[in-house]
Amino acid sequence: MKKEEAAAVQSGYPGWSGHFRREPEVPFARRGRHLTDLIVGKLLFIVALLAILIVFFIIGFLLRDGYQIVLEIGLWNFLAGMDWNPAGPTPSFGILPLIVGTLLVTALAMAIAVPLSMATAIYIAEIAGPRTKEVIKPAVELLAGIPSVVYGFFGLILLTEWIRILFDRPSGSSWLAGSILLAIMAIPTITSVAEDALSSVPREFREGSLALGATRWQTIRRVVVPGALSGITAAVILGMGRAIGETMAVLMVTGNAAIIPEPITNVFSPVRTLTGTLGIEMGEVAFGSMHYHALFGVAVVLLVITLAVNGLARFIIHRIQMTPARSRASGAFMQPVHNLIPVSLPRQAKRRVIHPRTTQRFAFLLISLGVVIVLAALGVILLEIIVNGAGAISLEFLTAPPSNLGREGGIFPAIVGTLYLVAGALAVALPIGIATAIYLIEYTADSRLTRGIRAAVDLLNGTPSIVFGLFGFAFLVLFLNFGVSLIAGQITLGLMILPTIIRTTEESLRSIPKSLREGSYALGASKWQTIWRVVLPPALPGIITGAILSIGRAAGETAPIMFTAVVFSSRYLPSSLSEPVMALPYHLFILTTSVPGADNQKFGTALVLLMMVLSIYLVAILVRRRYNRATVM
Amino acid sequence: MSKITIPFYHPFIIMTGKRLSGVTAVALAGILMVVLMAAGCLGSQPSGSPASPSQQITVTGSTTVLPIAEKARETFEDRYPSTSVLVSGGGSSVGVRAVGEGTADIGMSSRDLKPEETGMYPGLVLHHIADDAILLIVHPENSIESLTLDQVRGIYNGTYTNWNQVGGPDLEIVVIGRDSASGTREFFGEYVMKKEDFIRSQEEFNSNGGIQQKVSRTPGAIGYVGLGYTEGVKQLNIEVDGNTIEPTLENINSKKYPITRPLYMLTNGEPEGAVKEFLEFIMSEEGQQIVASVDYIPLQG
Repeated sequence: MKKEEAAAVQSGYPGWSGHFRREPEVPFARRGRHLTDLIVGKLLFIVALLAILIVFFIIGFLLRDGYQIVLEIGLWNFLAGMDWNPAGPTPSFGILPLIVGTLLVTALAMAIAVPLSMATAIYIAEIAGPRTKEVIKPAVELLAGIPSVVYGFFGLILLTEWIRILFDRPSGSSWLAGSILLAIMAIPTITSVAEDALSSVPREFREGSLALGATRWQTIRRVVVPGALSGITAAVILGMGRAIGETMAVLMVTGNAAIIPEPITNVFSPVRTLTGTLGIEMGEVAFGSMHYHALFGVAVVLLVITLAVNGLARFIIHRIQMTPARSRASGAFMQPVHNLIPVSLPRQAKRRVIHPRTTQRFAFLLISLGVVIVLAALGVILLEIIVNGAGAISLEFLTAPPSNLGREGGIFPAIVGTLYLVAGALAVALPIGIATAIYLIEYTADSRLTRGIRAAVDLLNGTPSIVFGLFGFAFLVLFLNFGVSLIAGQITLGLMILPTIIRTTEESLRSIPKSLREGSYALGASKWQTIWRVVLPPALPGIITGAILSIGRAAGETAPIMFTAVVFSSRYLPSSLSEPVMALPYHLFILTTSVPGADNQKFGTALVLLMMVLSIYLVAILVRRRYNRATVM
Repeated sequence: MSKITIPFYHPFIIMTGKRLSGVTAVALAGILMVVLMAAGCLGSQPSGSPASPSQQITVTGSTTVLPIAEKARETFEDRYPSTSVLVSGGGSSVGVRAVGEGTADIGMSSRDLKPEETGMYPGLVLHHIADDAILLIVHPENSIESLTLDQVRGIYNGTYTNWNQVGGPDLEIVVIGRDSASGTREFFGEYVMKKEDFIRSQEEFNSNGGIQQKVSRTPGAIGYVGLGYTEGVKQLNIEVDGNTIEPTLENINSKKYPITRPLYMLTNGEPEGAVKEFLEFIMSEEGQQIVASVDYIPLQG
């Protein structure tokens, strides 16, 4: 009986024979498998190195065109110069006002976004009932899917107008407008990451706190939030990264005057950001001129600032994680408990005028107010675009090419162009991204190299989309001589979404229990067989979610394709990869900024773009929900 | 030992205890494949679009010249079905560079070549195809009717900050201009500003349309745009030697209106083939009518 079983095992699961070392012959198939393992491992390694390579390439190509400005006018004059006037009679290239503008706009945006996001995150994680949660959470996440050019469109047409009238200013284009817009854009990112962090605080902490007689608000404030601090920090920094790197929305509303507000707290002053400068001047600047080099210098500075923010984030998270998990957890718990204790002391009781319940009521009121503001912002933007855009949608609009500068006809080539761009970007990023993630999770322990690769991926993640655009332009369009073409745009977008795909794939691979892999190895499967047949299939929904989110991002981006892939209009669809295409976000940008009298088409294009991206996001959310529900948590 | 013989579970069942999610995953993978296949059929034209033409001209550059090329393209493609014209914007410098580098057949520029550019691409040939007038525009409710060029300069260099200093209402002036890489701004800077610096708080936009929209919504604003961008704004008359010149087509054509500039198309070397046909079409009477129809000034004679 035992022998039979062993034989069955041997034939069915050949690898199992590894435990029967005494048997002389090694099955031929096994040798082949080892070879496959070796080759696949090496291949994945090479692909994973791409991430590092790309980072060096980006920095290299920006520096290649940017260093001349420093040689010419000196580093100090460039960074600390007060005057940005590249086309003046005596050109000056001081970017201090641009740096200050970027920092001010980002700082105020964070001051607006962080409280609102925290309120929303706390509401979703701690206060809302399951049904409300099911509605609000996806709604907030949908906000993240709105393309930035749509925000810019909304900001240019409505927000600046409201600010001008409400505050009785001569002009509404201002620091404040930029910050409000960026805040709305950063809120979904911050909210969803912070909400994840809050939800992952163990239940027992809450129960313990409540059992000690703390109110729900006290529990949230002193137990849950401190316990989720590292995640919340990460959320804020991610949001900040998005805000610093945003181009199209900002350049449409800040007025772009290269001045430092006077006084520095004057939120109604127009300002100019680093990204905005690149966005409006790059297209027109004379190739090879000092101005051209100065713009690449600006891109390098922008990259360095995002790098610094990213580095800071990694440092903070690292420090928080350095404290051993258990002591952190109990520390986070114990400290709040200590904080709670004095509440029950009579001495304190005398001083306490406001009852904790009252505080709670007040706090919950504020939180609900925050949620209402966030949802209202979403509602206003969506409503405005849907109401105005619905009239423009017709069969002709969806299926005809534009004519008369986009004032008539449709947007069919733009829809198709966007699909081509997105599909190409996926074709570039999916294989590289998945391979890199597999290498990082399955093939290596935590080594200096993997840390390097991860750092590179983080860096790519934080790189502003306009920097990708510039890189694509300098490297693909000019250096490789692709010209403004579909393929240049696809690769540029592919690089842009690569970090998202790597990150989401990593996450979903990481969530596959070790026991599955061990089980597979124990049955004699090779490494590659284990990955291909055991690890990848259950990780697929996670990977697909990542891919879909990237599709949404790629479809809505303007800055990376502006200089690499798009044409203003084209009657025909591209017939090869070397031809330029039309794309929805760029079409909207042009209609909004350059074509008078195309109001109908403008709103129609915004609506189509919005619907396209939102439905992609909706699919992602549904996939995740299905997946989450199905997994045994 | 007996447990080993239990068949190897599909990982999904182990993971989730539900067969369904595997199906979902497959379905989703299918959706993804469809998207990818959309990319796969790049070579073939989806039905409903015209057959692919046999030759292509790419035209790129100045957003000011773009409407001419775009309008001309529509008629030209009807006339020469074997040629497709791809028009893209980007700016004068993009146009110069693209032609110089050979990534485009025709460049569009709203300014003369710069010394750096002629140095780098000595073969470029300028074709003067039309003229453009630059209008000064204000909000429709602004009571101001006309300005002298000196007053305009005073506004743009910061000497005047309130409309009542130049005979208008008591209203703070919001100065709107083009970005510093723009050909329009360069012309304005040389011709109107006489190379003086612009006021630093000037708000900058990277397109005529952006300026027009901003001015039409801001009571105190002043901006400068090409001829076509006058919807919702008020055009100012320019006073020259005591005469008030309205920016009418007549005055602009006769060059009485003082702020006009040439628009160019560029080729690398003398044009040939379809490129030549396209340029000749624009220079033809029909082409020049198109120029007028998109609010530019046709060439004289």
